[in-house]
Amino acid sequence: MVEELKTVGHSTPRIDGLQRVTGRATYSADVQLPNMLYARVLRSPHPHARILGIDVARALAAPGVKAILTHENCRLVWSSGDRVNKRYLFNNPVRFVGDAVAALAATNRHLAEEALKLIQVEYETLDFVLDAEEALQPGAVEIHPGGNLSPIISFRSTEPGKREPSTYVRGDLEKGFAASDFVFEDRYVSKHVNNAQMEPRVALAHWEGDKLTVWTPTQGIANCHRDIARDLNLALEKVRVVCQYMGGGFGNKNQCQDTDLMAAQLAKETGRPVKLELSRKEDFVCVHGRWPTSQNYKVGVLKDGTLQAIQMRGYSGMGPYRKSGGGISGVEYFRCPNVKTEIYPAYTNMAVSANFRGPPYPQGVFGIASILDHIAHELKIDPVDFYLKNVTRKFRDSIPYTSSGLLECIRQGAKLFEWKKRWHPAGSQQGPIKTGIGLAAGGFGASVGRSSAVLRLDSEGRLWLHVGVTDIGTGAKTTMALIAAEAMGIDMDKVRVISGDTDRTPYSVGESGSRTTSYTGYAIVEAAKDLKQQLAASGPPQGDEVLIAEATPSPRLEGKVRYSFAVHFVEVEVDTELGGVRVLKYLAVHDSGRIINPLTATSQVQGGVIQGLGMALHEELLYDENTGIPLNPGYYGARVMTHVDVPNVEVHFVETEDAYGPFGAKAVGEPPIVPVVGAVANAVFNAIGKRIKELPITRDKIIGAVS
Amino acid sequence: MKPISRRSFLERSGTGMAAAAAIPALEAPTFQSRPLPAEERGREIHLKVNGKDHRLEVEDHWTLAEVLRDHLGLTGTRVGCDRGECGACTVLLDGKSLYSCSYLAVWAEGKEISTVEGLAEGTQLDPLQEAFIEHDGPQCGFCTSGQLMSAKALLNSNPNPTEAEARQALAGNICRCSNFNRYLEAVLATSGKGGSRG
Repeated sequence: MVEELKTVGHSTPRIDGLQRVTGRATYSADVQLPNMLYARVLRSPHPHARILGIDVARALAAPGVKAILTHENCRLVWSSGDRVNKRYLFNNPVRFVGDAVAALAATNRHLAEEALKLIQVEYETLDFVLDAEEALQPGAVEIHPGGNLSPIISFRSTEPGKREPSTYVRGDLEKGFAASDFVFEDRYVSKHVNNAQMEPRVALAHWEGDKLTVWTPTQGIANCHRDIARDLNLALEKVRVVCQYMGGGFGNKNQCQDTDLMAAQLAKETGRPVKLELSRKEDFVCVHGRWPTSQNYKVGVLKDGTLQAIQMRGYSGMGPYRKSGGGISGVEYFRCPNVKTEIYPAYTNMAVSANFRGPPYPQGVFGIASILDHIAHELKIDPVDFYLKNVTRKFRDSIPYTSSGLLECIRQGAKLFEWKKRWHPAGSQQGPIKTGIGLAAGGFGASVGRSSAVLRLDSEGRLWLHVGVTDIGTGAKTTMALIAAEAMGIDMDKVRVISGDTDRTPYSVGESGSRTTSYTGYAIVEAAKDLKQQLAASGPPQGDEVLIAEATPSPRLEGKVRYSFAVHFVEVEVDTELGGVRVLKYLAVHDSGRIINPLTATSQVQGGVIQGLGMALHEELLYDENTGIPLNPGYYGARVMTHVDVPNVEVHFVETEDAYGPFGAKAVGEPPIVPVVGAVANAVFNAIGKRIKELPITRDKIIGAVS
Repeated sequence: MKPISRRSFLERSGTGMAAAAAIPALEAPTFQSRPLPAEERGREIHLKVNGKDHRLEVEDHWTLAEVLRDHLGLTGTRVGCDRGECGACTVLLDGKSLYSCSYLAVWAEGKEISTVEGLAEGTQLDPLQEAFIEHDGPQCGFCTSGQLMSAKALLNSNPNPTEAEARQALAGNICRCSNFNRYLEAVLATSGKGGSRG
């Protein structure tokens, strides 16, 4: 348990709550500039096609149209759109339904939309492939030269690596299976799920001389700033990125977007500000969602349930461009002497897949938690006991964690949930309506690293905090203010947060990977140390004086690994006649170290759980196999969770002491979605005695399983 | 968890406002109803928005959301899908909730429209707005205006809704941050305090 602090750790409403409830919060789409043009994008109707010709003459002559970009007159590379291949803003061939073909700017959005219809494109359609495993079969159409196995990528390098599966090995798999009393094998499948953040992508670009300002919803103004400057070949000081309020992203608003570059280029060509707005359908199909996977497991155990060997061979469908790693993770949460995982990220002609909250985990945990639950069932071991025996004590059984509340999360959770009381053997209830319980565990890296903060203290005692956060909905502005108030020993009402503008804030790590609190929050603590020393030396500032402190620490973990952990318990009710699954009780137990703001942290956990329930029970981007066209983009088609679908979610924090990060705070944002799908799948199995091995767990699958 | 008193949260909210006001404004938005160029055939309509009369020249196919945001500067009404799925654009039309992205501006001729900007009276927040802050309703905040307006419509017609009634009334307002339960808490807390004004 952590020691109580004065400000940090006390539930505090968001400092910008007033702006958010009065409509005054300015999101990127709310900014209007005089003389502004509106841009729209023409997109490929084919999953794979060569463009033989584009005729823009009629569109250019249409009322209000000022400029049109195509691959013929715009060869800009969108470097964060693909880490391996050269991805242009407009590609030829086009490689998925929705790939950008042209962008035009006109005096209003309706004229822009009308003019798009006048662009004539001649396509030569090519073979296409939607499934990752099929894409790797001999004879499959090559989406990029060299085949459809996407190379190993490192986030620190843009150089293409080897065309080999990403492989991790420890111990000796064959020895492990030989030493096992039982060996189990199974296959699990997860689907493409869209991030579906509420705010659609938009970019407003404005040139003043040779300086470009872009208003854009981004999870990292510093990354976006760097990417735009690089792709447009501009000096950093010639680019300003502004994002005062941001309407969610869950991983699909990292770095810069192609829309930022299109708007900038159209604004340059027309000499007027250009606002490019994506429709909801475009946002679903043309940005990215979670990668679909298939996972083949082989697991060896002793009679008492001790894990001996785990093998996993997985396939991830990345779409035609490689934005992200494509990992399948979850095996790492278990101790086991012999492990081998191999992951094949493959190009397909589906929508691009990349980061969505806890990127490689929810689908990976679904797989590993399902087969381990199956093993516990076969060996007649209570799943809680199975977890207590087998969960990780050291990262990959070798590197110590800086802190771990994982075992405590399992113990406290089982007690709070009344696991033993609710437990019954799988499928043992009579009647058409059955209940079942399940659990799953997971975690997320709570890394530390480089970020900056500037503190400015004025003679009125106000502390101006300059941090490059945008606050994607996590409450980061408030969290940063709480950390600053605590570190300086002042009241919250003295803190002013300046954020969301690269001309006014220093570098901050992107708001992805659950890093902002650990990275930027720690920079605030370090800057405050400096400021307190200045105060001690020279006394408080007088009149026009200010004291300024800056810190850009690069903390390291000295041979340790830092993780947040989450253990979730769920009870479901399954209607075996109609196939519906209803969540009766949900308990999320988290070790995120010290909680800076229990109010917003609890909201985040609840939200992550409910997003995970959507992935478990409803959501999938469906494709027509014959045409390669997505069938259900949009909220209605994706069947995202609504007010009438959501259960109560109980949240419990196990606050372990951790020597790193600001006051020992670890990651909060991503862990909540990690165990959800696995826990729900296990609860459904416990209810009906049949295991659903392919997501989402929809009515047809339940009815198919029980009939 | 330390309970939040009404007083402390109002003070903090005030801090937020002061902080925002202290940040120099970006480019001042130019919101004015402009005469339409020749290629855009217009028609004149009268709208009453948040108690204020407006005379505007609009095209037949402009949505109410578009007119509120782009021509009246009421950008608190958000557009999340522009196709009647998400509810971010919810406003009140003669007191009833409405997706303003799926309603033409010309249909609103002579009707009374309320948006999120009209909820507060001067500096006095509507009890729903206070409860939304206190119960941490907005995460990213993009759906918040719509949630507020749907909740307002509910409390107008049913000042003391049950939990099930409140969930049903808000069912058309998606929150992808999935803060549904916080919004619900806020609505029920408001109704428990004797309902919303107006």
